Amino acid sequence: MSALSLPEVSPRRRRTDRIMRGVMLAATLLALVPLVLVIFYLLKEGLGSINGAFFTQDPSGSFFGNVGGVRSAILGSVEIVLLATVIAVPIGIGVALYLTEYGTDSRFATVVRYFVDVMTGVPSIVFGLFIYISLVLSHVGGNFTAWKGSVALALLMLPIIIRSAEVVLLLVPASLREAALALGAPRWRIIRKVVLPTAAPGLVTGSLLAVARGMGETAPLLFTAAGASGLTFSLSQQMNSLPLQIYNDVLSPRSAIVSQAWAAGLTLVAMVLILNLIARAISRRSRVA
Amino acid sequence: MQETRHQFREDLKELERQVLGGLDLVVGQLDRALEAVSYQDVELAAMVVADDDRIDGRYLEVHQGILSLLARQSPVAGDLRIVAALLHCIRCIERMGDQCVNIAKLVPLSGHDSPKDKDILDAIERMGQLARSQVSQSKDALKNRNVELAQDLVHQDAEINRLNRTIFKRAVEVGDEVEMREWGMFMILVARCIERVGDNTVEIAEQVVFVVTGLFREMADIGTSHEAART
Amino acid sequence: MIPSETRSKEPTMSTARGPVPDQEEAAPDLSAMGERRAGHGITVNGLNAYYGAQHAVKNVDIDFPANEVTAIIGPSGSGKSTVVRCINRMHEEIPGARAEGSIKLDELDVYDPGVDLTAVRRMIGMVFQKPNPFPTMSIFDNVAAGLRLTGTKSDNLRERVHRSLRAVGLWGEVKNRLNAPGIGLSGGQQQRLCIARTVAVEPEVILMDEPCSALDPIATLKVEELIDELKARYTIVIVTHNMQQAARVANSTVFMLDGEVVEHAPTNDIFTNPKDERTERYVTGKFG
Repeated sequence: MSALSLPEVSPRRRRTDRIMRGVMLAATLLALVPLVLVIFYLLKEGLGSINGAFFTQDPSGSFFGNVGGVRSAILGSVEIVLLATVIAVPIGIGVALYLTEYGTDSRFATVVRYFVDVMTGVPSIVFGLFIYISLVLSHVGGNFTAWKGSVALALLMLPIIIRSAEVVLLLVPASLREAALALGAPRWRIIRKVVLPTAAPGLVTGSLLAVARGMGETAPLLFTAAGASGLTFSLSQQMNSLPLQIYNDVLSPRSAIVSQAWAAGLTLVAMVLILNLIARAISRRSRVA
Repeated sequence: MQETRHQFREDLKELERQVLGGLDLVVGQLDRALEAVSYQDVELAAMVVADDDRIDGRYLEVHQGILSLLARQSPVAGDLRIVAALLHCIRCIERMGDQCVNIAKLVPLSGHDSPKDKDILDAIERMGQLARSQVSQSKDALKNRNVELAQDLVHQDAEINRLNRTIFKRAVEVGDEVEMREWGMFMILVARCIERVGDNTVEIAEQVVFVVTGLFREMADIGTSHEAART
Repeated sequence: MIPSETRSKEPTMSTARGPVPDQEEAAPDLSAMGERRAGHGITVNGLNAYYGAQHAVKNVDIDFPANEVTAIIGPSGSGKSTVVRCINRMHEEIPGARAEGSIKLDELDVYDPGVDLTAVRRMIGMVFQKPNPFPTMSIFDNVAAGLRLTGTKSDNLRERVHRSLRAVGLWGEVKNRLNAPGIGLSGGQQQRLCIARTVAVEPEVILMDEPCSALDPIATLKVEELIDELKARYTIVIVTHNMQQAARVANSTVFMLDGEVVEHAPTNDIFTNPKDERTERYVTGKFG
């Protein structure tokens, strides 16, 4: 019996391998460049404006004098997005539950899924326009109000939440549902006590990602919440928000205000980043457990 | 289509072949033992005694083979009945071999020049032929799983039992002189050994019926001879 | 088969994992569940089950006697799992699946049009092939899950949970960590936990669909011993691929082939002298 021998890798293969690696590395670096540039510019232009007053004062709105801060914008963003979340998350998870638990086979469910997919592709300004026409122009409950902005954002967040929740719910092993069914549990109790707790980390992650998306949208808020520079907590009035503030400030002739716009942008990116990190930490912890 | 459990089937067939071969060995031993009695051939008798080692060896082989099969293959249903039957049969074969040895051992003792009775000798020869044919028939019954052949063995065995009783009576009749009496008693012992060989073939027949029908029934009809076989 | 009355109640094999402090408490102790009670049998009559157009179970009649273990054996696709899933009406949970016929628990027909599905499943419990404890619940909560999920008001929930754990012989191993997650147990322990969960609801019948397929040999033996104990209080139906397992645990065995019942007889007869040629060929492994 002859001894085994392993052939060596040919030089040509080695060269091809090296070339391909180089090409893919170049592509990666190319993609990273704009990202790095964005962060770099944000830091460069905006870091200077970040100080105590930035967080504690409202934008003064005046052309001269103290430029103020962006407190009302930050708080406004938080409030509007919070309301949007409260609207979108329960409805979104509800729809996802319907699709996975009750409607796996029905025609209706297929149609719903199709529409949800379409909604993920709708430009955000269209949502704003829709709320503008249906709620603002009709003067339902006031003109431009913060809560109408929340509704617009909720419409934006809804399909994201539905899609991610559906995926997570489908990941709950059928064997768990079977076990609960075999014990004689009614379906809704199975959902409440078995399916939802098991899917919870994934649902939270999906919702946080939708929230992060909602935080950064400008267009829907343009025609709905509009924006005042003053601080207000009432949802039935116009409210400031970070994207809106940036939109207003960036075209200002005054350079200090422009720098503030950069700083606001930096803040927004930071908030989105933090939300993403929290989402990732939750999903990692749940996997380990 | 390749049959499943190929090795298992092979092993089982081989065990059966060995048992059937054991029955052939018994036929050979019986023939020679009876010849040794007829012609008072002491050397032939000594050969029979020595050759019993082959039957004992066969017994050990089959016994070990069955243990191995039971441990490794977990036979059930028909296979299990066959395995149980083979174990029983190889024991019967071993006992039959021992009976042939007993017959052979009686040859030098019964004396070369002692007086003989023709009736007894004829009866012994007849018994021997019957026993020989029974062993052969039991082999056929087992090999072909033939229930009729098996049940027929009981009838044939009745004849052996009858001859056994005849020899006993005759020996009592002619036993007036010491030497004749002594020879007669040796012949009674020989007859008894042959009769036990017959009983063992009946046991093999019972096993054949058990394998085929799954029911075990004792075929003891003419009573006490059956218990006597259990020694 | 050794009659179960002569077998000792103590486990004779040692656990592979290391010293178990209370060896007596490791044995299944069904007396913890209370007085011995006579169970209820199941009678299947004219059962036909379909997966869409495929006729999986064909006119099956089987009697499952009370307080006995009945095993169903047969090759893959013979319909044995389907029959069992029809008994607790889990079959129809599969989209496109349906069943017709009569399945009676004593005198109650499980397929009665007006019957409450959840009530049926409370009376007929099921243990699955792969142990499936609820991952977000502790050991205690897992056993209590059956009671909580069915909305059973229970003043002595703790006691019932402890009793069930004792009944399956798990008490000694987990009594000090009832709040630990259920999925932290070994495979064999998880399966016994699932059995405890089923038993806590106090069903009449326990269905087992290949309960030991995913377990190692020692865990399998423990579960088998538990099954032997359980039949004192429940009627047990076990589907198994493993013929030796059926031979060990079942009082009677049903052999199914292509959706039909070929033979149903005491286990001893099936494995020493089956009546049907097909049964003989299957149990001796002559099936290709």
